[in-house]
Amino acid sequence: MKWRRTGSDVWEVDPLGAMLVPGRVYASPGLFEQAESNRALGQVMNVAHLPGIVEASIAMPDIHWGYGFPIGGVAATDISAGGVISPGGVGFDICCGVRLLSSGYTRADWVARGERVMNELSRRIPRGLGAGSVAGGDLMSQVLETGAAAVLGAGYGTPRDLDRCEERGTSPGADPGAVSERARKRGRSQLGSLGAGNHFLEVQLVERVFDEAASVFGLEEGMVAVMIHCGSRGLGHQTCTDQLQAMGPAMARYGISVPDRQLACVPVDSPEGQRYLGAMAAAANFAWANRHVLAHEARAAFAAGFDTVPQDTRMDLVFDVAHNLAKIETHQVGEHSRSLCVHRKGATRAFGPGHPELAPDLLPVGQPVLVPGSMGTASWVLKGMAENPAFGSAAHGAGRVMSRRQAKKKESGAAVRDALESAGIAVRPGSVALLSEEAPYAYKDVDEVIEVCARTTLAEKVARMVPLGVVKG
Amino acid sequence: MRYEVIDHTADTGIVAYGVTPHELFENAGWGMFDLMFDLSGLDPMRDVPVIAGGDSLDELLFNWLSELLYHADSLGLALCYFTVDRLEEGGIQGSAGGVPVAGLELRGPPIKAVTYHDLAIVENPDTWWARVFFDV
Repeated sequence: MKWRRTGSDVWEVDPLGAMLVPGRVYASPGLFEQAESNRALGQVMNVAHLPGIVEASIAMPDIHWGYGFPIGGVAATDISAGGVISPGGVGFDICCGVRLLSSGYTRADWVARGERVMNELSRRIPRGLGAGSVAGGDLMSQVLETGAAAVLGAGYGTPRDLDRCEERGTSPGADPGAVSERARKRGRSQLGSLGAGNHFLEVQLVERVFDEAASVFGLEEGMVAVMIHCGSRGLGHQTCTDQLQAMGPAMARYGISVPDRQLACVPVDSPEGQRYLGAMAAAANFAWANRHVLAHEARAAFAAGFDTVPQDTRMDLVFDVAHNLAKIETHQVGEHSRSLCVHRKGATRAFGPGHPELAPDLLPVGQPVLVPGSMGTASWVLKGMAENPAFGSAAHGAGRVMSRRQAKKKESGAAVRDALESAGIAVRPGSVALLSEEAPYAYKDVDEVIEVCARTTLAEKVARMVPLGVVKG
Repeated sequence: MRYEVIDHTADTGIVAYGVTPHELFENAGWGMFDLMFDLSGLDPMRDVPVIAGGDSLDELLFNWLSELLYHADSLGLALCYFTVDRLEEGGIQGSAGGVPVAGLELRGPPIKAVTYHDLAIVENPDTWWARVFFDV
C-alpha cells in the first residue's frame, strides 16, 4: 500500500484498482503506525469501492480494525449519482452513542456520598447479558416510531432532554414495519439496559475547561457529570443481521460488487435501500430511548444517594450523540451542494457553529462532541467546527490497540479492578472477568486522539473529564 | 480441537474445525458460545429447533450462527449442545440445547452478531475448517 503523509496529521493513498476515491486518515505518526499494525488501512481502501462515494474514504484518529468498515470510518455517497447505503457502515449496534449529563454536585459532594451513589447505580442500571428491562416491552411500537419522545411520554426524563439530543431523540423516516418480529423479540426485555463489552455508565469530574462553550453546554470545572455509552441492544443487532441477509441478493440485482461481503450495499434510492434506512431509523429510535431511560435511572440513583428528589440533582442533558449511524445530510462537494448519505462507523457527528440542525442555544458555539476514553482514563467534550474536513465528523473514542485475548493475558480482571480502585475510581462490574478486556492498556492514548482532532479541525477542545466511578457490563 | 480463537483488535474471531460439514457447523456453534461462557460441564435443559436457509456454505454458516444467536438472546439461554441433522444446498436443519444465562458468569463479552468479514469455509483432504468473526 502506498500511503503517504500529505499533512502533519493527514495520510492518503491514491485510488488503486477499483477504488473510486482516495483513502484518507487523520492521525499523528504514532496513531498511524498503530493503524498500520493491523488491517484497518486496508479497510479504508475497501470502503473507497462503494458506488457513489465522494471525496475520500476517511478515517478518524481512533481508527482500528473493524469488520467491513474500519472503526472510525466515514464515507459519504452522492444519492443522485447512485450513491449506496451500506449497513456495514453503520454496524450491528445501530445508533450506538454517548449521552452526557451535568449535575449540581462537586468533588466534595462525591467524596461524601459517592459510595452510596455507586451502589444505587449498580442496583438500578441493568447490564450484562440480555434481560434487565427498566421500561418493559409495552412501549415497543411507540419507541420504534418516536424514540426518546415515546419514553418521555411514559414518564422518563424531561422535555428539555429532547432539545439536547441529536435529532431530538427521534430519527426521521422510521419504518417500524421494517423491524422484524424477531428483532422486536430480542429487544422486548432490553429497553433501558447497558449491555456489555465496551459499554458503560461512568461518573466523571470536569477536570479542566478549555473553552467558554463549556458554560453553554452546562459544564464547569469541578462539576460531577455522568456519561452513558450504549446502543440499540439485541433489537439493533437483529435488524442489521436481517437487512444484511436481504441485501446480498439485492446487491447482485444492482450489479454491485464489493471487496468484503460485510460492505454489502444498495442504492439509497432503491426500495431495499429505503427499507434499510427505515429499519435503521426505527432501531436508532430504540437506542435514543434506551439512553434516555438509563439517564432517568442515573438521576434516580443520584437522588437516592443524596437523599433528595431527581429534580434537585440538577442533572441536565449536555448532549446525546450517535457514532454508529448513516444520515442523509447536505454537504458541499467541490463547488456544489449535494445530498449525501453519510456513514459514520465509530465516528461522531460534529457540526460546527451555525449549522441549521443545532438547537438555538448551540448555534453560536457548535455541537457538543462526546469522546469517551478508555476505562480509567480521561474522556473529552469537544465542539464542532465549521472547517471540519470530514463531512462533519470527529473521533468517537480512544480506539483499541490490543486484542481482547492479549488484554486478558496481560492482567486479570481482579487486578484491573484493584488498580482502578487504588486510583480512586469506584468500579461496579457486571463481570469482574471482563474488566481486563477493557483495561486502559488495551486502548490508545485518548489525549493524543483529541490533540489530532484539534490540529486537523475535526473538533475543538472544550473540557477534559476524569473518571470517579464506572458501572460496566 | 473444536475451534481456535483468532485475535482481532476490536472484535473476536474463531477458526472452527470438523471432519464433516455437519461437525464443522456444530463446532462453530460451540465455539461462538464457548467464547462467552465456559460450556464444559453444562447439561442442556431446553432444546430449540434451528432452521436456516442459504445458497452457499458461507451463507448457511452465517445464517446458522445468526439463528443460534437469535434463539439464545431472545430466550435468555447459553447454548451448549449443537446437532446438525440435515445440511444441504439451500438449507440447514438441526437443534441446539442450552441453559438459562441467569447465574452463569460471562468469560467473554456477549456476541452481538455474526459478520461476513473474512468469512471462509475450506475443505482439506481429511477435515473442514471455517473462519468467522463476531461483533462484540
